[in-house]
Amino acid sequence: MKIIGHGGKEIVERVMDPRQAVDKIRGLTRIPIRDQLAREVVMLSYGFFTPLQGFMTKADVDGVVANMRLTDGTVWSIPIVFDLANEEIDAKRIKQGDTLLLTYQDQPMATLDVEEIFSYDLQKMAEKIYGTAEEKHPGCARTYKYADRFIGGKVTLVNPPKMSEPFDRFFFTPRQLRAKIAEKGWLRSVAHQTRNVPHSGHEWLMKGSWIACHGDLPVEKIVTGIVVSAVMGEKRKGDYIDEAIVLTHDALRTYGYFREDVHITSIVLWDMRYAGPKEAIFHAILRTNLGLTHHMFGRDHAGVGTYYDPYDAHRIFDTISEDDLRIKPIRVLAWWFCPVCGEVTYSGLCGHTKERQNFSGTVVRSIIQDGVRPPRIIFRPEVFDLIMETAEKYGFGSPYVGDEYLAKRNPLFTVPPLKL
Amino acid sequence: MTQETYPINVWINEERLAKLQAVNLADMAEEAFAGLKVLRVPCTEAQRDKVLATFPTAKYDSATTKSIEQLPRDVKDKIFDAVIAKGSLNIMGEFLAQY
Repeated sequence: MKIIGHGGKEIVERVMDPRQAVDKIRGLTRIPIRDQLAREVVMLSYGFFTPLQGFMTKADVDGVVANMRLTDGTVWSIPIVFDLANEEIDAKRIKQGDTLLLTYQDQPMATLDVEEIFSYDLQKMAEKIYGTAEEKHPGCARTYKYADRFIGGKVTLVNPPKMSEPFDRFFFTPRQLRAKIAEKGWLRSVAHQTRNVPHSGHEWLMKGSWIACHGDLPVEKIVTGIVVSAVMGEKRKGDYIDEAIVLTHDALRTYGYFREDVHITSIVLWDMRYAGPKEAIFHAILRTNLGLTHHMFGRDHAGVGTYYDPYDAHRIFDTISEDDLRIKPIRVLAWWFCPVCGEVTYSGLCGHTKERQNFSGTVVRSIIQDGVRPPRIIFRPEVFDLIMETAEKYGFGSPYVGDEYLAKRNPLFTVPPLKL
Repeated sequence: MTQETYPINVWINEERLAKLQAVNLADMAEEAFAGLKVLRVPCTEAQRDKVLATFPTAKYDSATTKSIEQLPRDVKDKIFDAVIAKGSLNIMGEFLAQY
C-alpha cells in the first residue's frame, strides 16, 4: 500500500537486499563518507526526507535558498547536500551518469547516482538559510566546512546499518512508525523534538501539547499520542549523552508519568543546523513523513545565541499554507515552577511573574553535576537515578559528553561487513 | 557601589544541609529552585579567571545564571568542605592558593 508523506508525495524506501546488491556494486568507485553524510544517507533511503530520494541538485538548492521550495514546488527549508573535494572528483574521474559506492566504517553502505556535479556560493547559502553569514553560527560554520563541489543524485542503501543498543529499540522508519501508530489506534499524534533529558518542564510541554492536540476528539478511548522524537547527531562537549536522552524519556512512560497507550519514544538521525525558524519547518516535514499529525514548538525552537527571536519558529508557520504542510504546529510558551502556586505551571496562565522560577538548562545541569537529587516536582526521581546509571554505563562517569565519550562511545549504528 | 561577584553555586542535598546545620551555617543556604537550596560562594573577577584557567571544564554563564558552572563534582565537594571548615562563604582566596 502506498504511504503518502510531505508534499503529498509517496514515501519510497530505496533499500536493497545486500545479497542482491553485491553484483551491482562490485567495481564501483568507492567514496568514504563522514558521519553526517552517513546519517543523511540512512534518512534519505528510508524516506524520512520525502520527497527527496537523494542529495539535492543545484536547482533544488537554489529553490530552497531563494524561496524555501524544491523545484517541484514542495516546501523545503534546509539544503541536503553531498559535498566532495574537487581533487577527489578529478582523481577518481567522477562524472555525470556514474554510480558511486559510498562506504562508511570501511564497509559498502549505499550507492549515489551522479545526476549533477556543481559548485555553490556558500556564503549566499548560509545567509539565506541562517539569516547571518557569521562563522560563529554553528549552521554557517557547518556550511563553510563543505568541500568545494557538490554531487546531486539519488541514493540507495545497499547494506542497511544495524542500530546499536540501546538505540535499536527506538529507531523506527516512517513505515514502521506509521504501523506502530496504527496499532495503537491513534487518530492524532504530536511530536516532541528533544536533545535533552526531561525535567518536569519538558514533561508538561508534552502533556500540554497532548491536550491541545486531542482537542475535540472523544475522551472515552485514547486516540491521541505523544511521540518523543529525539535527535541523534553530532555531539558536542557538554551535551547530554544520547543514551541518557532516549532512556530517560522512555522512563517517563515505564514509570507511569505517561500512560503506556499514549507515549512512544523514538529517534531520528540528524545533525542540528540551529536554523531556528527554518529548522522548525524542516522538523515539521520530518515528522510529517513519520506519520504525525501535530508538532509542538516551544520557545526558541532550534535556535542558538541571539540570532532569532524566541518565537520566530512559531511565526514562520504563518507564512505557509495548510495545504503545503500536512502537520499542525502547536505553539507553546514556557512552563515554569511557581512557588506561590506550588506547582509547575504554564507561563500563559500563571500571574505570579515576579515569583516564578524558570527551568534553566544551566541550573538543571548544575544541580545534576553536583549529584544532588532535585525535588520530585521538578525532576522525577526515577529519571534522576537513570541519568546517574547511564552516566556509569555509557558516559564514562558523566551524563554529559566529554572527550572520552567522543573518542570511545558506542556508535549509533554499525554497517555490517559486506564482501564484494 | 557593591562590588560585582561571580558566584559558584553549590547545591545543597540533605547530607550537605546536615553538615551546615551542625556548624550553624544553614542560614547561608538560599532557597533557589522549587525549594532546593544553594550556597552561593562568591569569587572576585580575578578569582573567577583563575577558576576558569585552573579547571578547563568550568564556564562562566554570563547569559542566564551569571555564575561559574560546570566545575567537576569533586572540586565542588572541596569548596563545600572549605566553607564548613572556615565557617564562611569567603573561602576562594585560600582555596585557589592551593592551585
